[in-house]
Amino acid sequence: MSVQTFTTASTVEEAIAAVAAGARPVAGGTDLVVGARTGKSTMPESVVAIHRVAELHGVESLADGGLRLGALASHAEIAASGDVRKRFTALSDASAIVGSHATRAQGTVGGNLMNASPAMETGGPLVVLGATATLRSPSGTRSVAVEDLWTGPGKTSAAADELLVGVEIPAPAAGTGSAYLRLEYRRQMEIAVVGASAAVAVADGVVTEARVAMTALSATIRRIPEAEATLIGSDGGSAAIDAAGAAVAAASTPISDVRGSADYRRAMAAVIAGRAIETALSRAREENA
Amino acid sequence: MATVEEPRTFIRPDGKEKVTGTGRYTADLVLAGELVAKFRYADHTHARITRIDTTKARALPGVLAVVTHEDVPDVLYGGMVQDRRLFAKDTVRFEGDVVAGVAATTAEIAEQAAALIEVDYEPLPVVTDFEAALADDSTLVHPTWESYEGDEALGRHDNTLGYSTIVKGDADAALATADVVVKGRYFTDPVQGVPIEPRAVIAQWQGDKLTVWTSTQVPYAARAGVATTLQIPESNVRVIVPLLGGGFGAKCDFHFEGHVAALAKAARRPVKLVFSRREEFFAVGHRREGMVIEFESGARSDGTLVARKARLVLDKGAYCGEGGFFAQMAAMHALGPYELENVHIESSLVYSNNQPSSSIRAPTAPQVCWALEQHMDELATALGMDPVDLRRKTLIETGSVTATGQVLERIAMKETLEKAVEMIGYGQELPDDEAIGVAVGWWPCFASKSGAYVKLNPDGSGTIITGAQENGTGSVMAMPTYVAAELGMQPEDFSMLYQDTDAAPYDMGSCGSQTTFNSGRAVIAAAVDLRDQLLDAAAEKLEASRDDLELTGGSILVMGSPDKSVTIAELAGEGTFHGKSEDVVPDGPEAPAEGCVGRLGLESFHAPQLIAHAVRVRVDRGTGVARVLEVAAAHDCGKILNKIGADGQVYGGVVMGIGQALSEGTQLDAEGRHRNAHLTDYKLVTASDAPKIDVAWIETDTPGAGPKGSKGVGEPPCVPTAGAVANAIAKVIGARVHKLPMTPERVWEAGA
Repeated sequence: MSVQTFTTASTVEEAIAAVAAGARPVAGGTDLVVGARTGKSTMPESVVAIHRVAELHGVESLADGGLRLGALASHAEIAASGDVRKRFTALSDASAIVGSHATRAQGTVGGNLMNASPAMETGGPLVVLGATATLRSPSGTRSVAVEDLWTGPGKTSAAADELLVGVEIPAPAAGTGSAYLRLEYRRQMEIAVVGASAAVAVADGVVTEARVAMTALSATIRRIPEAEATLIGSDGGSAAIDAAGAAVAAASTPISDVRGSADYRRAMAAVIAGRAIETALSRAREENA
Repeated sequence: MATVEEPRTFIRPDGKEKVTGTGRYTADLVLAGELVAKFRYADHTHARITRIDTTKARALPGVLAVVTHEDVPDVLYGGMVQDRRLFAKDTVRFEGDVVAGVAATTAEIAEQAAALIEVDYEPLPVVTDFEAALADDSTLVHPTWESYEGDEALGRHDNTLGYSTIVKGDADAALATADVVVKGRYFTDPVQGVPIEPRAVIAQWQGDKLTVWTSTQVPYAARAGVATTLQIPESNVRVIVPLLGGGFGAKCDFHFEGHVAALAKAARRPVKLVFSRREEFFAVGHRREGMVIEFESGARSDGTLVARKARLVLDKGAYCGEGGFFAQMAAMHALGPYELENVHIESSLVYSNNQPSSSIRAPTAPQVCWALEQHMDELATALGMDPVDLRRKTLIETGSVTATGQVLERIAMKETLEKAVEMIGYGQELPDDEAIGVAVGWWPCFASKSGAYVKLNPDGSGTIITGAQENGTGSVMAMPTYVAAELGMQPEDFSMLYQDTDAAPYDMGSCGSQTTFNSGRAVIAAAVDLRDQLLDAAAEKLEASRDDLELTGGSILVMGSPDKSVTIAELAGEGTFHGKSEDVVPDGPEAPAEGCVGRLGLESFHAPQLIAHAVRVRVDRGTGVARVLEVAAAHDCGKILNKIGADGQVYGGVVMGIGQALSEGTQLDAEGRHRNAHLTDYKLVTASDAPKIDVAWIETDTPGAGPKGSKGVGEPPCVPTAGAVANAIAKVIGARVHKLPMTPERVWEAGA
């Protein structure tokens, strides 16, 4: 199959109309074309390029302390944002290590989310930061929690006529720290074999809020309530961290493939989750200091 | 023309076009009317072909040719054993066997047509466990192996394509008397060359004359392969190599030039083949071999090595190609650069239904060295000796006699070791997750015939006509530098006519670290001949004795009479000057090699290059992830003629060695099919992972060396790196990793 129709949208309305008519949106093109070339997927018959839609760009700090990311915000742009680095650190961690310099310059957060790979970098951080995705179709706009966006590898709950237009992250609670960490075999061009995200709030030496998500360890990126429960109310010491790491490992359903065996991945789930939580906790404590 | 003679950096003349994207590689060339070639590969890794029907493919509009074994001469080819056909006839033996080729107007049509070819098979048992392939009752990959032409010395038998031993004294008896005996078994995954340019071939016929543009490291071998398989004279075949985007050995040997030429002939149109990255992995019969390596060594308590036994099994894959010498080469690396009283090494090169292996940068050496150098460190531990001290005690030195009886007249093995440990600061205090590992290795030079011409143009510039290849190895820097030095001119004064078999005499190609050694020798000889012609002409013109003349700064001067001179440009404008090499291939050293079998000439190492690497490594004990932080590389490669190029070879070789050590490995499924034939999961080391690399050259005068006392440079830098990394990892984690690459999971399993 080769592309029969290729159009370029200049407004969101044009983009949505094209998507509703069956076109696949392409922004950075780092998944669509590469996937087709390697045989992972086929090129769609109809493609709409959305990279010129100005409204879909941008990283914007909101008056209420939240953050709005246009679907077309590139990983490089997000990683370069001082506000993201300071207050939404897990996302900054993730955006800074997606693929290579070229991937980060070209790839977008919207594309990353909608590609729905369980190994994507930005998904876990957005989940633990409580982000919502904004989907638009000709019939309207709706918001969906990012953690409810994925239904399986490569699958989302978005309807066929919906386009992801942006992502909103609420203002973090006072004393919040967050982190994303992945197991990596090399420093560039890497794909997470195991990844973990944590966002924690600490008050008076006690963990008051905790969200922990795992990456590349199940069919979709998801939160691990058992790990969160071991942390909330604890002092965030090594016993609590170890217990949380063990909970992530227990909840994981890893596969064996060329990147690693299920046993190794499960063991690394505990290690990487523990380190992500530890880093998030230390960042939270710095916030309080 | 430059006339100022002063030492300065000569920048490679092909650099700018490569870096700015204006350089043209084979795939960039476009011929009028060219068609696109696609192959139909084997649908099984071992099966008998019962029917091939190309009717539907031929009927597809846009298809101009479909070629199978029926359309080409029934010829078996292969460098050391003739065991392969261009297009599979009765049997397919690995995933990348080509059953048919298609030439069509577009890639999509060619692909569709290839899929429309109907092939029926009777599947045969698949031989993927190459160690088990040695068993008497194993399925034979080539049941008719006895009928194949091949090098007699290989000692072929059943699945064993090559068998070689090195025997000295009585190793078993000596082991019984040793104070300490250590045993180890090691396993290595196959590794790929991974040139960044996937290969491309374009073939065009004009009458009986064929021109092939191809991304090969060995155009003369490619020409010979086309001539043999298509049964035409070599004089009808011209092979041209446009810019070559790397090879690392994977573009040695004859590969697809014959297939594309056959398609072009059938289609009566030029045909272009450009490989995808996936094809560059699985379809090329050319990768670094997997091995099983067993060592047993005995030492006296003072460290003297009384005996070494080794058993090596190498996976040759489905076909021989040029790599038939691997059993003996691996045996020589099992010997290593050590003084040994008693030796018994047995090495088998075995057919399997895996992808064929052939020369990748220093074939067999990095794997065997990785195992041996770990084994030596294990021996040091058992002896309670520092591993560097054990090597100080046991390494070869000037005057040593190897186990095959070669007398080493002048080498600097121990000096490289001392230099490497000095550069890295061996013995320094380190954090407890870091350690320094050391490994040593050796590699021979390969003397081969080579020829060259150097001609002067009327404006006084020159052209070097050479068979030397530019595979990233720096010959475009080296050759003009060598010639300019002979003629008192500047490297910039010369262009090169190269990578064209119709232009220059035979050359081995970019392989065997031989470009300076052989092509360099030829180019210098041609320059000397030209120099003689210039001196004769100048003597006449200046009415001076030849002996009083000096070539410098682009002129010929009469020594002591600065006003009497003539420029080379002036002479060139008046006469015809072309130097030609008279090639004298240096003789290799003798080695009686008594008691050794499978002698292919590698029982002695011609002008051996000696290498010591010391590496500082950090291991994450939680995950098993190892990072190489620093490498000190000390090499005895004789006199260094082109330091920028030589240093570059070490940087690249070390990084390749780190990839082999930590992340590069082809994973095969139960039927011998690639599972990671792409750059996402075949993990090359990236620039971000590359450590600090310090290089030192120990310049010795080695008998039998190449021009001006040089030896090879290109292959040794990747030989001991993995062994050094392994020894550092073992120091950190207190356990040995017995599988290569030492992936995080394997390090973790070993007990990080």
